Amino acid sequence: MVLEATMICIDNSEWMRNGDYSPTRFQAQTDAVNLICGAKTQSNPENTVGVMTMAGKGVRVLVTPTSDLGKILACMHGLEVGGECNLAAGIQVAQLALKHRQNKKQQQRIIVFVGSPVKYDKKVLEMIGRKLKKNSVALDIVNFGEEDEGKTEKLEALLAAVNNNDSSHIVHVPTGPNALSDVLISTPIFTGDGEGGSGFAAAAAAAAAGGVSGFDFGVDPNLDPELALALRVSMEEERARQEAAAKKAAEEAAKQEKGGEQQSTSQDATMTENVSAAAPEAENKTSDLMDDENALLQQALAMSMDGPAASLAVRDTDMSEAAADDQDLALALQLSVQDSTKDQGSETDMSKLLADQSFVSSILASLPGVDPNDPSVKDLLASMQSQPEASSDQKKDEDKAPNEEEKK
Amino acid sequence: MACLHDHSCEDHDCSSDFSLYKHVDLSKVSALNEAVPGSVKTVFKAWEQRLNSSEGHLESNDGDPELLVFIPFTSDVKIKSIAVVGGADGTSPSKMRAFINREGIDFSDAQNMQPIQEWDLVENLQGVLEYQTKYSRFQGVGNLTLHFPENFGADATQIHYIGLKGEATQLKRDVVATIVYEVMPNPSDHKTKADNGGGLSQVE
Repeated sequence: MVLEATMICIDNSEWMRNGDYSPTRFQAQTDAVNLICGAKTQSNPENTVGVMTMAGKGVRVLVTPTSDLGKILACMHGLEVGGECNLAAGIQVAQLALKHRQNKKQQQRIIVFVGSPVKYDKKVLEMIGRKLKKNSVALDIVNFGEEDEGKTEKLEALLAAVNNNDSSHIVHVPTGPNALSDVLISTPIFTGDGEGGSGFAAAAAAAAAGGVSGFDFGVDPNLDPELALALRVSMEEERARQEAAAKKAAEEAAKQEKGGEQQSTSQDATMTENVSAAAPEAENKTSDLMDDENALLQQALAMSMDGPAASLAVRDTDMSEAAADDQDLALALQLSVQDSTKDQGSETDMSKLLADQSFVSSILASLPGVDPNDPSVKDLLASMQSQPEASSDQKKDEDKAPNEEEKK
Repeated sequence: MACLHDHSCEDHDCSSDFSLYKHVDLSKVSALNEAVPGSVKTVFKAWEQRLNSSEGHLESNDGDPELLVFIPFTSDVKIKSIAVVGGADGTSPSKMRAFINREGIDFSDAQNMQPIQEWDLVENLQGVLEYQTKYSRFQGVGNLTLHFPENFGADATQIHYIGLKGEATQLKRDVVATIVYEVMPNPSDHKTKADNGGGLSQVE
């Protein structure tokens, strides 16, 4: 709540036509200026803000320090871009404008937007800085736009000459997707010297953060709290349901992988088939989010086992469309597709495997966190039972192999 | 015009004379070109403490010996004389220019304006020198601005003590900001918040 008179120096030189800050550098600057004016006038009603341009026909004061926000915003309208920026003269005129402020009790501050190259010497800038410091004028520099060699150095030197007890700041804004104003909101230029920020700045920061990072549900809780709450609750319910389904799918995947430990490629192919059968099943149950978890679970299980089981998990991952962007995955996928086309095992093999109660219960017992006496597990087994019975020989072979693995 | 005490200071209690420091509004004292913001407040103390710099002193920024000290008072005072204790090795100020009842003077103003009085100072490390004012000009002083443009050759100027001798009246010199004299009341001069929000106010 510092009582302050601020002069904002705008760079409206030709360099501001560039579009590397959207929509143009000049527009981004104008938005930032509007925000700053709002923040200053809100933080203390007696604060005054003035605006001037440094380029164009010459250094010109558009509005002398006033607390009337409407006047300030109006004068920003209809500004033209052109000419060359005269930094030294601009700062000196700003100092003069501040000297003749009406309320002498206000602290003096100049905010300079430097978007074009600085043609002045470091020495000249330092002298200006010293003069400002002597008259206890604080200076905030917003360095954006042209990246001239030496520009940053010169501005830092200017800041060092002006800075008195950390009341002056410099902000470098690189080009990027973030708007100039968003970047500035979090800087001391907005929040004042460590005072914790005005309410305006804080609210603006929250809105900006919401827009930039994206609220979870694309809705700003400030704007529509009920909708945001409803979305959040439904998301959590869905997540809980998916976790339960994921657990089931993970059990099946674990069984599949244990089966896949066998070295025969035909088994692998069979497993692939069965996995592909299981995967659509998985897909039917869940959304993409669940597939992510499913894939991750399988990958984790695969890591603890090795070789074919890993590639199995990889294939399954691909089947569930979860990690299509992984190149290694894509490669493994290609291989697996080739493999699977060779062998056309019976689709019922897996179901026969599962139909064997004893086998299934033994598998389940070995899985951590799964209680074979759990009613949901029993239901699952019952559903498995309804599938056609496999031949006993096949069952026995498959039975023995997993049992051996379990003993490992 | 300097005045050396013609008595030994142990007998006569000079401290009672330099009592105007009690009427200085310390919270509003400010200085321009001070190296440490707020250090100007340490130079206003009792006369016995004038050589005691344990709480710090006023120093200008390196390379720039100019200092400007703004001293507001809690009530109007009449200033008889001013004592200044500087630092050693040429850091003492060599000139002093005074302005009264002017707020917001900065260096360019101070350099261009005619002061109400100016003095050439000498190095006064013991603080026994005081500089008399033209008393008739220093009646009813609400605030005093002291400008020290030069020193005795050092890079920075140091001031350890500023003593003010005089009388305090109990009056407060308030500047009247705006006065509206009305022969007949004009409703537009008496707008309330309700009026501004909308709606017409009826005045018969």
